[in-house]
Amino acid sequence: MASPIIDASGIVKDYGTARALHGVSLQIGTGEFVALVGPSGCGKTTLLKILAGFEEPTGGHLQIQGRDMRGVPAASRPTRMVFQKLALFPHKTVAENIGFPLKLQKVGKTEANGRIRAMLDLMHLKPDYLERYPAQLSGGEQQRVALARALVSQPGVLLLDEPMSALDAKLKKSLQAELKKLHRELGTSFVLVTHDLEEAMMLADRICVMRSGHVVQVGTPADIYYRPANMFVAGFIGETNFLPVTASAAGDGMAVVSPLVAVGKTTIASEHVSPSLSAKGTALLVRPETIRFVKGDAAPGEWVLDGHVEEYFIKGASTQYRVRVHGLDNAVILDLPGSIVLPAAVGEAVRIGFDPTQAFLLSE
Amino acid sequence: MRIERKSWNDPVFVATVAPLALVMVAFFLVPLLMTAVLTFQTTQYYRLVWTWDLKIWTEVFSKPHYWTIMMRTVAMALICVVLTVLIAFPAAYALATRLKTFKTQIQILIIFAFLTDAVLKTFGWILILDKNGVANWLLMHLGFPPEMLNLLFTPTGTMIGMVYNLVAYPMFTIYLSLVRIDRDLMLAAYDAGASRIRTFFEVTLPLSRPGLYSGAVLVFVLSLGAFLEPKVLGGGTSPLASELIRQSFETRVNWPLGAALTMVLITIGALMLAACAAFVLRRPSTGRRPA
Amino acid sequence: MKKGTADTSSNIGAMKRRSVLKGMGGLGLGLAAAGSGFLASRRDAAAAESLNYMCWEGYNAPSILEPFQKSKDASISIDLITDSAGGFAKLAAGASRDFDLVSSDSPWIQRMGPAGFCRYIDEADFADQFAEFYPQFRAPFAPLAFEGKATGLPTRWGWVGPTVNTKFDKLETWSSYAPVFDSAYKDKICLLDWGDWPIMPLALYAGINPYEELDDAALEEVRKVLRAAFKNTRAIVADLAVAQKGLIDGSFRALIGGGTYATSALRMKGHDYIQSIVPEPKNGLKQGIIWMEATGLIDNGKNSQIAADFLKYIVSPDVAKQLAITEATCNLVPNSKAEALFSEEEKKALQMDYMWTAWDNSQFHTVAPNIDDMLAIWQEELAAR
Repeated sequence: MASPIIDASGIVKDYGTARALHGVSLQIGTGEFVALVGPSGCGKTTLLKILAGFEEPTGGHLQIQGRDMRGVPAASRPTRMVFQKLALFPHKTVAENIGFPLKLQKVGKTEANGRIRAMLDLMHLKPDYLERYPAQLSGGEQQRVALARALVSQPGVLLLDEPMSALDAKLKKSLQAELKKLHRELGTSFVLVTHDLEEAMMLADRICVMRSGHVVQVGTPADIYYRPANMFVAGFIGETNFLPVTASAAGDGMAVVSPLVAVGKTTIASEHVSPSLSAKGTALLVRPETIRFVKGDAAPGEWVLDGHVEEYFIKGASTQYRVRVHGLDNAVILDLPGSIVLPAAVGEAVRIGFDPTQAFLLSE
Repeated sequence: MRIERKSWNDPVFVATVAPLALVMVAFFLVPLLMTAVLTFQTTQYYRLVWTWDLKIWTEVFSKPHYWTIMMRTVAMALICVVLTVLIAFPAAYALATRLKTFKTQIQILIIFAFLTDAVLKTFGWILILDKNGVANWLLMHLGFPPEMLNLLFTPTGTMIGMVYNLVAYPMFTIYLSLVRIDRDLMLAAYDAGASRIRTFFEVTLPLSRPGLYSGAVLVFVLSLGAFLEPKVLGGGTSPLASELIRQSFETRVNWPLGAALTMVLITIGALMLAACAAFVLRRPSTGRRPA
Repeated sequence: MKKGTADTSSNIGAMKRRSVLKGMGGLGLGLAAAGSGFLASRRDAAAAESLNYMCWEGYNAPSILEPFQKSKDASISIDLITDSAGGFAKLAAGASRDFDLVSSDSPWIQRMGPAGFCRYIDEADFADQFAEFYPQFRAPFAPLAFEGKATGLPTRWGWVGPTVNTKFDKLETWSSYAPVFDSAYKDKICLLDWGDWPIMPLALYAGINPYEELDDAALEEVRKVLRAAFKNTRAIVADLAVAQKGLIDGSFRALIGGGTYATSALRMKGHDYIQSIVPEPKNGLKQGIIWMEATGLIDNGKNSQIAADFLKYIVSPDVAKQLAITEATCNLVPNSKAEALFSEEEKKALQMDYMWTAWDNSQFHTVAPNIDDMLAIWQEELAAR
């Protein structure tokens, strides 16, 4: 990255004796949209607060736009935050809320009004909303006002702290689309904290997956989805299957053996191997959509497992099957194309198969 | 929140509201009406005579000293409101935001002081304010001239007592308002570029208005009825309305006069509260626009 | 007599509650009077006979009430008066139906006869009691009589004059009320805020006899003397304890409007340098005032014998002695036989050696014809301070 707008290195944050961040390093490029993802307590919000200036890191360095941020209060940083609960001032009108940062910067009335108007247009809010109070707006409208307030002073970085977690699914989808469009139009760097990896994949240029105060993986959505660093990242994306295997180096790939499969040996090309593979708990990531019911003979090189149908769910476009396989702790999940004729009934003995060379080798 | 339009034809509504309405009528409106009726009667030989005339009102409006006392009462009440709020706000602010270590202990002490009998507390102030009292003793030992302060039996003494006895009310209401303010709002203000002081005036203060107003109203109403402090600490230098009313009822056994003065005081108080309410309701403090 | 007592709770405490509707207290009084009927009837069940008694503090001492309740198998319900006029007004509001007996300031007892609240008593029925009284109190006792008919029996008495701390002032200084107006005594005088009591002595000093019908010129004199007194006064105090504290520490050189009622309890506790005296007559007008409490039988239609028994009981020597020495105040009693029961200290505390001198130089306190005018003037001048 040529000149990152945010350069955090080795950020440590302790709350008393508890360590919330264990030396987190992250660079965010100018105009980039980065999502911080992880389960609750992973430290993503703490990192965001450190970026915003609400928390001082216990250790490490933070530069924003090339400036050391040590001791720089939130007010003086080129960052603006959209809060989880929006934190709109209930006693101020929409115009006063949006114009608040401008008022503090002593921007002239005429200019301020113009910029507030422009924000209103950008956010598709009607002009007669200006004199309303936040409580008189719907959830989605409040969301836009919060965004407008954060963007009106043209910050270098927009920080978003799970701003859409309280919205219903439909509204969330439309706002996500708008947020992405907004990002493209403005060219401002966005940092979004979310626990929803799907949302992160939809919106972000790069995703930083965190766990227990550590960064587990930073990468593009495709990286995260197709080349997860480990089982944690892969499992975080959604329901998937892990088949325990033993692996050993073989040429420029890996030789993989599964005791559960009759012809349980194959070679996996290096692009299907996690770069951070370790010896502990190696497994093949087999995506549900890559597994099929095997009726008749298996395809060449296909790995086949025997089991019986535990349950199935008709999801419309696809039908999900859960198949219990002897020797595996979790049921194997299959996502089959939706069909009016069900391929198997509950309790039925089935054979499932997949191409191991298309699977992804990773570890715990 | 949507308020459903209730109908007096709805038996359930009537049944739920009726008891409260009856209580209000029985214990508020009826006594008030009786007081009003009383003002048109006269007394003779310490007995009430039912006459229906304006004698008492003529007397009330022709004697300026009643109005002197009423105006002084209102002025004292307003000063008391200002002083109690000025003291209560920083205290409540410290309790709500700053003090962490001894918060509970301090709260318990305040509640104890608040619950202690007002008579005891007021008499306690005599020992402090007297010429040879604790305040002067302390000042003397700090190098000030002896008997520097002469506060007992002065209007200032009355005011000190009133402020002390009433300051807990706005402290509670402001505290409750302050702790209800979402901390994110302050962060949002900082984030938008506001200093701590600016944040206080832009966010904290406006959002504590409900507590501020309700505390001020409580103090104002209670100050209008201040009785103990002028009697014990005022030494006859600052007679206030309630003592005047008591004298009229009890010492002069002139119930119509006492009733008339009561009505005057209630009216002044109600008018001032209405004026304040009109002023306050110009802007909603919770974001809800008045209809 | 009286308003404030050393026990703060009985005066201010009883009506300390603040409220805009403070004035409603008076109205509440009327409601309470109506309500007390229920209470009275419920209490009946406990004892064979019941007695509803309206009285000043002191009369309600358990040492007085309990022996009577035991010997008569009666239960006594007390309603304490905090203001003589207020007590009268309460009876006037209809409470007279609920009470059997009342002890209050003598002018008010005297008025209760013609007002129809009190039964006139046949002095012959109380001949034994009158026989034990000092000659000054014997039947026919004019101060309690209306058109020759007696309204009650005297029960406690004393005099009103300057109360002085002899550690600071000589008694001779106070042979007149002049120091009240002397600039040398500026901010050293305390007026007791006890209704008409502080007004009367000051009017007498101005050469006005407040117990006579006053014309406008005379009332103007009263106004002038009150205004002059207010100018020189440090404080107008309703609470006796506060007044006494100031008197003892010297911040008040004299209490005006009190007298023995304010003095004797202090003397009883060893402050024998506190004395109440009566100033010398001025231009032939006696400057002292004798106050007296009396007990009357309320005319509630029951013609209660037990109330009459209590009246005899309360003036009997032993009980009179109890009544004389109470926790809050100490006062003289009319029964001469009680005198022998007092110890030397008690006699000294009550200033018994001075009582007839005081009597001879005093007016007798009655309801002044123009008292409401004078109280109104007091209010006006106080407001203008």
